[in-house]
This record gives sequence, C-alpha cells and structure tokens, in this order.
Amino acid sequence: MRLKLKNIFLLYLVVSVLGLLCALLQLGQPCACPPAPGAERSRGGARGGAQALPTIYVVTPTYARPVQKAELVRLSQTLLHVPALHWLVVEDAAAPSALVGGLLASSGVPHTHLHAPTPPERRPRPGDPPWVRARGAEQRNRALRWLRDTRTPRDGGVVYFADDDNTYSVRIFEEMRSTRLVSVWPVGLVGGLRFEGPVVSGGRVVGFHTGWRPERPFPLDMAAFAVALPLLLARPGARFDPQAERGFLESSFLGGLVTPQQLEPKAKNCTEVLVWHTRTERPKLRQEEQLQRQGRGSDPRIEV
Amino acid sequence: MDDGGDSRRDLAAGFDSKEYCLSDRDIVEVVRTEYVYTRPPPWSDTLPTIHVITPTYSRPVQKAELTRLANTLLHVPNLHWILVEDSQRRTPLITRLLRDTGLNYTHLNVETPRNYKLRGDMRDPRIPRGTMQRNLALRWLRETFNKNSSQPGIVYFADDDNTYSLELFEEMRSTRKVSVWPVAFVGGLRYESPKVNAAGKVYGWKTVFDPHRPFAIDMAGVAVNLRLILQRSQAYFKLRGVKGGYQESSLLRELVTLNDLEPKAANCTKILVWHTRTEKPVLVNEGKKGFTDPNVEI
Repeated sequence: MRLKLKNIFLLYLVVSVLGLLCALLQLGQPCACPPAPGAERSRGGARGGAQALPTIYVVTPTYARPVQKAELVRLSQTLLHVPALHWLVVEDAAAPSALVGGLLASSGVPHTHLHAPTPPERRPRPGDPPWVRARGAEQRNRALRWLRDTRTPRDGGVVYFADDDNTYSVRIFEEMRSTRLVSVWPVGLVGGLRFEGPVVSGGRVVGFHTGWRPERPFPLDMAAFAVALPLLLARPGARFDPQAERGFLESSFLGGLVTPQQLEPKAKNCTEVLVWHTRTERPKLRQEEQLQRQGRGSDPRIEV
Repeated sequence: MDDGGDSRRDLAAGFDSKEYCLSDRDIVEVVRTEYVYTRPPPWSDTLPTIHVITPTYSRPVQKAELTRLANTLLHVPNLHWILVEDSQRRTPLITRLLRDTGLNYTHLNVETPRNYKLRGDMRDPRIPRGTMQRNLALRWLRETFNKNSSQPGIVYFADDDNTYSLELFEEMRSTRKVSVWPVAFVGGLRYESPKVNAAGKVYGWKTVFDPHRPFAIDMAGVAVNLRLILQRSQAYFKLRGVKGGYQESSLLRELVTLNDLEPKAANCTKILVWHTRTEKPVLVNEGKKGFTDPNVEI
C-alpha cells in the first residue's frame, strides 16, 4: 500500500476510534481496588499539589528572639516541599508581629497566623537559665481551638506539632499523611540519646525506647507523633495541660486521645529517623549589647 | 515549574482496567519505588549556575544539618552542590543523602590532618575548619571547567549550619566579579555589613571585630564569579599562619580590590543570610556502651 497522507490520517482515525470505544466500555466498570491513601505520586510544592491528599496541619508555636526569623525561614523552606499542607503559626505574643506576618506572606506556604500570649506566671523569669522556655502549651491549644472552630470531621487531615527549631525531612510528612488515629515514629537527638522512639513488634507499638523518665504514659517528643483531625474533633476535651510537669506535656494531650497500644508505627516500623530535635545556639551579641549601651546599636529598622 | 502531578488516573484511554487492579500490597510497592519526595526546579539554559561549596564533617547533627540545607537548596534553579567531607573516604551516609535529594551534586572528600585539627599552637594556629575542603572544591572547579569556557557560574561557600533565604541566591546570580552583603549573628553583632557609599561602592566594613581587615566579612557574605576563580588559578584559602578572622581575606585579596566589590541586598541593607549555629546535643543517656541501636542512622 502506498504511503499516502490520506491513508495515514485514516489509520490515525481508526486507532483513535478504537481507543475511544475501549474507554467507553471501561466506563461504569467497577474497579475492585481503590488506590491506598497517599498512593498518588505527587510533586513537592504548595502550589499545584494533588487536592485529593489529606491536609497536614502543621502547628508551630514561636516566640520572639534573635534567631526567630532564621528558624522560621528555614522551616518554611522545608514545608514548601510538602503538598496539601497548612501551616498554623502561633506567636507567643499579645498581638501578631510584622516580622512573622511578613515572613509568612512571602513564604509561599498556605498558612494561618495566630497568637496567644503565655500568662506572666508561666513565662521564663529574668534569673532563669537560658534553656528554660515557655512550654508552648497555650499556643498549641490556640491552634487546636482554630481547628475546632473551622474544620469538620469530613475535612479529614492530620495534625502535627512542629517546633520551629527542629529539623524535618520531607519524608516524615508523607509518613504521617495516612494516620488513622495517632501515628508515631522515632525522633533523633532527644532524651539524651541518639534517638528516642517506640519499640515495635508485629506491626504494633509494644514499648518505648527512651533514656529519660520512661514512666511517662507516652515517653515521646512533640515531634514524634501526628493526630488524625477527625479524632481530635471527636475529643473536644483533648488539650495540652500548661500545668503538666516537665516532659509530660505530650502525655497530657495524647492520654485524652488513644492508648499506647493504639499507636500506629510509621517510618518502617519505627526504624528510620526522619526528624531531629535540633536546637539552635543563642547567638553571642556581646558587641551589640555594648554598642547599644553607648547608644550606637545597629539600625533596628533592619530586620534580622 | 511544572505543577501537574501525574497519577495513575491520567493513563491513556484504552489501558486495560486489569492493570489497575493489582492487590493493595502491589500498589503500595510500586508507589514506594516511584515516589519522588523532592526534586529541584528544571534546569534553565539562561541562568548562571550557582556552585555551592559546603564542607562537612561527621558529628551527631550532621545528617540533620545537611537535610535541612538540602531542603533549602532544592528550591534554587541551576544549583550545583559541591559537598566536601572532612574524611578519609566518602561515607555511605553522605553518599545516600546526596543521591536521595535529587540535587545536582559533586561529592568530594579530603581529611584535615590530625595535628592541624587538634593542636593549638602560638606560632602556627590551628587551620580553621573547612579550609582544606573548600580548597579542594576550588581545585575541582579549576580542573573541571575551562578558563575560556562561556559557561557562566557563581561560586558560594555555604557552611552546613547557616541559614540562607532563597532571595540570597537570586541576588548573587548577577555577580560580575565579587559581590557582598550583610551577614547576621557574626562578630558579636546582630549583623556585620559592608559600608556602601552614595555611589553604591563599598568603602569599608561595619564591624566591631577588627574592621581594618582587608575584607572584614564572613564567608557567607561573599560570592565570586566562576570566571575569576578560573582566571586566578593560584588563589586559595591560606592554610597556615592565618589569624582568626582573616581567612576570607586570604582568598579575596588575590581576587579583587575593595573598589570592585558589588554590594547586593539593597545596597547591603537587608539580611538574607544568618550565621546560625546548632547546639551540640547532649547524648548523656547513651552511656559508655551506647543505648540506641547503632545501625539506626541519625
């Protein structure tokens, strides 16, 4: 057969029609296997993320100090890789600040900017050592209130408490997306250990690997778990107890949601470390303080 | 940037429905090998490449530091990461980390000799950490790129514990010779900065610590055009006999004069990079024999 343009068109037409017929025959056919949650392949980036993914609500309490902007900038750069993510930033402040507001606006991460001041009696006092900090309970509870006010159980989604100085791999967010009740994983560099984490056997949490206060009901760091939003909404009383003893803040919240046996292990049955409890040094500002005493401090209009 | 994620549902009409209906386990397996957590922006033919040189050394926070730095770099188009380990051999941890990021990278290593690392000597002060590693990267660039090649590039030294805004990388991309900008949290100040006059020229340094250094600026406050690195092929960081704070000067004085410096970041009035430092974690509960499984990588 001679290769005429007419014949090529004809062949193309026939193949297309056949394809269309096959597709039409497929329509309405039940497929026995709905895709598993998170089965869609998706690219990073807040823009254009697959809408079918359950939203991860990342709750970050933050407070003003020299490194605040740097911490939030680098955290935002990680979060920007995660699709279907909503960042709830809660300032320990009486009012939202321009620094955080401006940063959030230019970050490209979908967000809500909240604030909740820590009451004076629970704030660190001038004589306290540098590592004594306000606990973040009020700020996290403020975020819980926002979720309860604005979300319904049908929204689905997962809630994660991410402090602004930790380090997160992008992978941990995909691990937590399939949380049904409360999921858990190890956290690096916490509790005086290389990592602290659940002990898993037969796909279930049977204990906790920790070097500090193992009698805690949930010997886990804040970065070690995520909560399904429908569960949170079904337990309106679940909150962080600001009066909880040091190290027991997580337990005060999780105890109102699940038993340890119900925890869902992630990160390859809790054998992979995908989040680290890094802490940032307080910068040495001795020369700055000296200059300020002489009335020659750096320009405060230049935001650091 | 291409926003469209493709999923199994996008497959062409005519695809046999049976091929969808794998068991749940099979679906999960396929997804795990296909899943791409991060990838950099598509390469552009018109943007100069930014060669980011990062020396790194093994310690508990190393993987965390490099993970978050990689998360930053993954947003920057036309970026080439040159990671140089202070080690005898390239380690599996770094090899895997680099591969998993999806970044365009080169993995090098050179071990700082032990006596330089440990001994503090009045006549011959300890080599500042990272010097040999940065020099190795400079040598690699000179061996890899032709001086006469038209491949535009910028060289930036980025330590693994600092914090970098994305805007910084776009500021440095237009560097013709050497560009400079302020750096936060160095020299005991909120920030150190070049002094820029009304004509947009650098004429001095706003620092408390030794402002009369030829280049009183932190490593993180400078970028150099690749062409200059290739032309001045003998310019390296001085290894021995360098006073504290003079490392940067030891390289820059071989490349440029004060007058030729290009101020960025709105004439050096914006902070786009912070000299953050990470606390050394207290691993007191590991004890002498170790408590956690050493096979679990942190």
